[in-house]
Amino acid sequence: MAARGRGRWFLLPGLLFLFAVDLIPLAYAAWASFYDWWLIRPRDIRFVGLANYLQLPGDPEFTRAVVVTALFTAGAVLVEFVAGLGLALLFAQRLPFLRPIRVLLLLPLFVVPVVGATMWRVIFHPEVGVLNYYLSLLGLGRPPWLSDPTLALVSIALVDAWRSIPFMFLVMYAGLEVLPAELFEAAAVDGASAWQRFRHVTAPLLAYVMLLAVLIRGMDAFREFDIIFVLTGGGPGTATQTIQILNYRAFGLGHMGQANAIGLVTLALVAVVCWVLIRAILRPRAVPAA
Amino acid sequence: MRKARRGVTVVLILAIALAAGGGRAAWAQSKSLTFSMLAGYKEDVLRASLPDFEKKTGIKVVVDAAPFADLYKKQLLSLSTGGRYDVLFMDEPWVPPLSEFLLPLNERVKALDVADFVPTTLQAGAFQGTQYALPVDPNVQILAYRKDLFEQKGLKPPATWDDLLAAARAFHDPAKEKYGIAITASSDIQTALYMLLAQWSQGAELIDGSGRGALNSAAGKKGGEIFLELLKFAPPNARGYTFADVNKAIQLGQAAMAIQWASGARPMEDKTKSAVAGKLGYARVPKAVRQTPMRGVWTIAIAKNSANQDAAWQFATWISGRDFGQAAIKYPSATSAIHSPRVSVLKDPGTRAFLPYADALFDSLQIAKERPRLREYADIQENLRVTAGKLTAGELTLDAALKEIDAGTNRILGK
Repeated sequence: MAARGRGRWFLLPGLLFLFAVDLIPLAYAAWASFYDWWLIRPRDIRFVGLANYLQLPGDPEFTRAVVVTALFTAGAVLVEFVAGLGLALLFAQRLPFLRPIRVLLLLPLFVVPVVGATMWRVIFHPEVGVLNYYLSLLGLGRPPWLSDPTLALVSIALVDAWRSIPFMFLVMYAGLEVLPAELFEAAAVDGASAWQRFRHVTAPLLAYVMLLAVLIRGMDAFREFDIIFVLTGGGPGTATQTIQILNYRAFGLGHMGQANAIGLVTLALVAVVCWVLIRAILRPRAVPAA
Repeated sequence: MRKARRGVTVVLILAIALAAGGGRAAWAQSKSLTFSMLAGYKEDVLRASLPDFEKKTGIKVVVDAAPFADLYKKQLLSLSTGGRYDVLFMDEPWVPPLSEFLLPLNERVKALDVADFVPTTLQAGAFQGTQYALPVDPNVQILAYRKDLFEQKGLKPPATWDDLLAAARAFHDPAKEKYGIAITASSDIQTALYMLLAQWSQGAELIDGSGRGALNSAAGKKGGEIFLELLKFAPPNARGYTFADVNKAIQLGQAAMAIQWASGARPMEDKTKSAVAGKLGYARVPKAVRQTPMRGVWTIAIAKNSANQDAAWQFATWISGRDFGQAAIKYPSATSAIHSPRVSVLKDPGTRAFLPYADALFDSLQIAKERPRLREYADIQENLRVTAGKLTAGELTLDAALKEIDAGTNRILGK
């Protein structure tokens, strides 16, 4: 018992670190969000209470940014989930020629996001980009990937997917690898089809892993900044202006109160989404009747 | 023996630390400047000449370069939090917002040959009667056009917006991938500035005499309509264009004309990159009720809290001086240029060999119009950028966009 008590002291450095790098800045951000604080007017900082928060719901740019962020997050995570799961199921077949490809699949994970986004900016370039070159050879024209409002949102979601599918694949592939083989053998003996094996064995057993992967990627996609900033900067118009881009603009112009308020609202929104997903993950599953 | 060795080691480490620390402090006080600079082509020009300055003065200049989209943000954050910059390379609209943190230079400027600066360029560094910055790189919007194509069609360079539209229409042949004019229509700041140029020339103002947003007027609408009409003769992907893409459209021979900052004309004349080098003519931007090329001078300012103000002043006078101007103009930049604010450099016959557009630059600078000199201008321009982007993306009609620009301006100015 005493040893257990002593062991708790080993948590102290970690807690102190967490306090210093997370909680103190968070408290400072919360404090700043209650002020009208514009960096170009350092002698005119005024307490405004909740005003920075209360103006957000009535600001059409902010509400649109919330919608764009939700659409981007949902679209990107859906593509990543479906592709990641599909690849994991494919690679779980242990086909020998797939092994070397597995390494290649992981390459996007090692590319610095800004570098990756810059590379895609060149690929998407309407006139000199390689994508439109091949599309035009096929007679498919030269789509304005980043300058059409709808296509731009799709394009940034696809680039996010390119970078994150390997992560989804890795997590779900690892999950598949540890599933008990007996259940699949039993299902095969009972004459279950491939779809039935997936529907009634794989999916329920992999549900926790899937939810965890979606949770992690959902949080990441919600906070996505670098890819969007490099590819479209939030344009055309406000078609790809997410909450993060809006926040960057507020910080860039020196509106510290507003920017911190936007940051904390983002944190709250992410926390709500996480809470819902974590509840789903931790909910005890009903055991089917024998 | 072991103790003695340990003692010697401690003494040695302390001595080295003291020497290094003390030495750096003394060096930092008098011989080192931290310079906030625009990354890319202008940085290249500076770096090519910097060793001369360092050798001549013994002052070491540490360059901290950032891309255009981040430079104001970095400078604002650094200056307002007592940051590390001694000297800053600033676009002229940033001088009023950051003036609070800049060293007034009125007394020091008296020692310079002020008459040799193009007058409008010196004004770019002033705010409310105080000189906060010196001009380094004068820029202004000019018209670049394909002399050869105009001659073939027997056309004169457009002097009015109607002429410009007519010429754009005449050269526009999308089937052959030839377009009337290269212009941005993206969410890039250049889009907003193109539209503002057209509106200014119709007599509209961004802010009226009473300090209220004033773009939603008959003149503002007329200018907006001309801007939207021009987009019909731009390359189909102009909605994704930036400053560099306008240059590229000219370099590739796709566009017959461009309204561009003068610095963008340098790459158009680069024989290694441009298929039309030597075939271009330059003129003032078109006029309507008035001719209002937009001024955009890059300036150099000194941080008020700099501990190295004298060294910073030496650097500022060097970079805005004749020698640097001459060297910068000759620098074989493939992307852009730093011009000189000095009359003696711009009017030097040798300059034209390096800058074929020198006359148009000098001529346009004489009549250049400045953007509103307000501390809140960075916010006003950002509002203009976002709303112009919404207009070209089809999110807003012209009427709605003009109303939104004025509403944003009034909100920022507390009207």
